[in-house]
Amino acid sequence: MGRIVLEKVTKKFGEVEVIPPLDLTIEDGEFAVFVGPSGCGKSTLLRLIAGLEEVTSGEVKIDDATVTEVPPSKRGLAMVFQSYALYPHMTVRKNIAFPLRMEKMPQSEIDAKVDMAAKSLNLTDYLDRKPGQLSGGQRQRVAIGRAIVRQPEAFLFDEPLSNLDAALRVGMRLEISELHQRLETTMIYVTHDQVEAMTMADKIVVLQAGVIEQVGSPLELYERPQNRFVAGFIGSPKMNLIEGEAAKKRGAQTMGMRPEHIAVSTEAGEFKGTVGVAEHLGSDTFLHVHIDGIEEHVTVRQRGNVNFKYGDTVYLTPEEANVHKFGADGLRID
Amino acid sequence: MANRTIPRLLQTPAVVLLLFWMLVPLSMTLFFSFIRYVLNNLRRPEWTSPSIENWRGFGNYQYVWNQDSFWLAIQNSILIVTSILFLTVILGVAIAVLINRSFPGLGIVRVLLISPFFVMPAVNAVLWINMILDPVLGLQGIAVNGINEIIAGLRSAPVVGGFFSLWPEFEPISFRATQTSAYAVIMMVTWQWTPFAVLIFMTSLQSEDQQQKEAATLDGAGRWNQFRFLTLPHLGRPIAIVVMIQAIFHLSLYAEIEIVSRGNGNKNLPYYIGELVNNNIGAASATGIFAVILANIVAIFLLRMVGKTLME
Ligand SMILES: Nc1ncnc2c1ncn2[C@@H]1O[C@H](COP(=O)(O)OP(=O)(O)OP(=O)(O)O)[C@@H](O)[C@H]1O
Ligand SMILES: [Mg+2]
Repeated sequence: MGRIVLEKVTKKFGEVEVIPPLDLTIEDGEFAVFVGPSGCGKSTLLRLIAGLEEVTSGEVKIDDATVTEVPPSKRGLAMVFQSYALYPHMTVRKNIAFPLRMEKMPQSEIDAKVDMAAKSLNLTDYLDRKPGQLSGGQRQRVAIGRAIVRQPEAFLFDEPLSNLDAALRVGMRLEISELHQRLETTMIYVTHDQVEAMTMADKIVVLQAGVIEQVGSPLELYERPQNRFVAGFIGSPKMNLIEGEAAKKRGAQTMGMRPEHIAVSTEAGEFKGTVGVAEHLGSDTFLHVHIDGIEEHVTVRQRGNVNFKYGDTVYLTPEEANVHKFGADGLRID
Repeated sequence: MANRTIPRLLQTPAVVLLLFWMLVPLSMTLFFSFIRYVLNNLRRPEWTSPSIENWRGFGNYQYVWNQDSFWLAIQNSILIVTSILFLTVILGVAIAVLINRSFPGLGIVRVLLISPFFVMPAVNAVLWINMILDPVLGLQGIAVNGINEIIAGLRSAPVVGGFFSLWPEFEPISFRATQTSAYAVIMMVTWQWTPFAVLIFMTSLQSEDQQQKEAATLDGAGRWNQFRFLTLPHLGRPIAIVVMIQAIFHLSLYAEIEIVSRGNGNKNLPYYIGELVNNNIGAASATGIFAVILANIVAIFLLRMVGKTLME
């Protein structure tokens, strides 16, 4: 079991309020991802749940038990850090065994559990090495191994993959997702990587300056962003947000169009513009179109390879059903 | 190859100088240790000049080896050095861990902690033996006197008087005596060198990874276990350095021993050599060579021990 509830949690560092009152529920077995710009308080929130920081006010509950005053070691949570935080003087085996050793578990039981964890993470051949003799991906796996042997109520990950190269990141992403399927344990995962958030999450929590902007499944957030911030933050490439005449016509302060929801024509359309850069990815082509009177370029996604090049004149028309409208307060208008 | 010649040429003076610096005294010592060479001998005046004619082979070594006082000096050297190392490392780690956090007055505390290190060894010895350890005039004498007076006063107190009348009168210890002078030396050198250990351990503690400690906290490790399994291994290398440097320095302690007791009873190797040098240069040189060997053994032994116990 691992249902985590935050009730009116706040956090101040000195005079600075990093987390204003915040409520959040993460269901048992859920994979929750915290995303948001740098410095918005993702790590702080995670550390509040772990107990590494004390809440200034409010309550943290795990399985309906209030743990606000409970020390981190007694909360039954395991955390994987961005820097791995492995114990450099211990072998991989001792690293993974450390939490069990602290529980004073009998040695034979420890060995069995460590061997099992090592096997599931492909670490069997490295058990007698020190962390310094491992690659980044292997270190990350040791850190995960150290977390899973304890069979915690929930796992907390703070940007665990950001120190890895792109290829390894994809591999580890899949491994963590698989781990979640297999263990069915609650996981909270902090990242600023769009793809990680979209592909791994059951539930995404979008934060800005300590405030939750929206909570929902990846598709909900993608298809119905509740405000301008979420609209601009979720999705890659970003949603095109346009203000001015075109938005006013639709009764909104800002209109948003995803790159795949814009039709391109060489003859006629709502916006006239010129092609800046055309990015050919093979499966898709992203056109960056400059439109008079609009400061930022508009990104358009076209399937396959299309023959537009720098300086071509094009006409863009949004698919009306998929236009997002936001009012002056930034909130969604339906 | 040609482009290597110039750098080598430029290095040569330094290398040659260093070689001479070390080789000349060492080979002279070696040479003297194999000949009969005394400063003063009326019956055999030919021994008073260093000459290959007076070759004695291992005679000097044999002579020294068979002296009881030589073995006493070695024992004393080892006792003094290992005690000081043990105490400074333990005190150093304890103090460094204690002050490795922020509290008001931290800067002043740190300066005060380091200051004993700047006192000259001879001054340090004079201060300790006369002002602190002296059985009559030193702090020790005054403190023991004070305690005795308090107890004497309590003897006539109503309830606890009976209990205190069973207590003996305390005697101040004379640290200039044969049996105790080594302890005086250990105390004063420990006081002087603990700051050195603290300084080195403090810098090392500041580079300790805080996230590892947080991870350990979540893994259920309390303060003691964090210290035992993270901090202590992290300090392994600095401890080895402190042990190494201090072993080298303290094997050659001299001033403190001279001032405390003039070598009465607690001669260490350097002091023993110093006494031989008054006349028998050959034997003194042989002892010097023994000292070099001993220093190496001690260093290797200590390093192994520190490495094994801390690095798991
Ligand atoms: N110990 C601290 N003392 C004071 N301020 C802090 C402390 N820790 C974090 N902060 C502040 O709290 C805010 C949130 O920090 P936090 O580390 O949670 O951000 P984050 O969302 O994890 O950012 P990133 O994506 O860069 O890791 C930041 O403005 C930071 O400066
Ligand atoms: Mg962070």
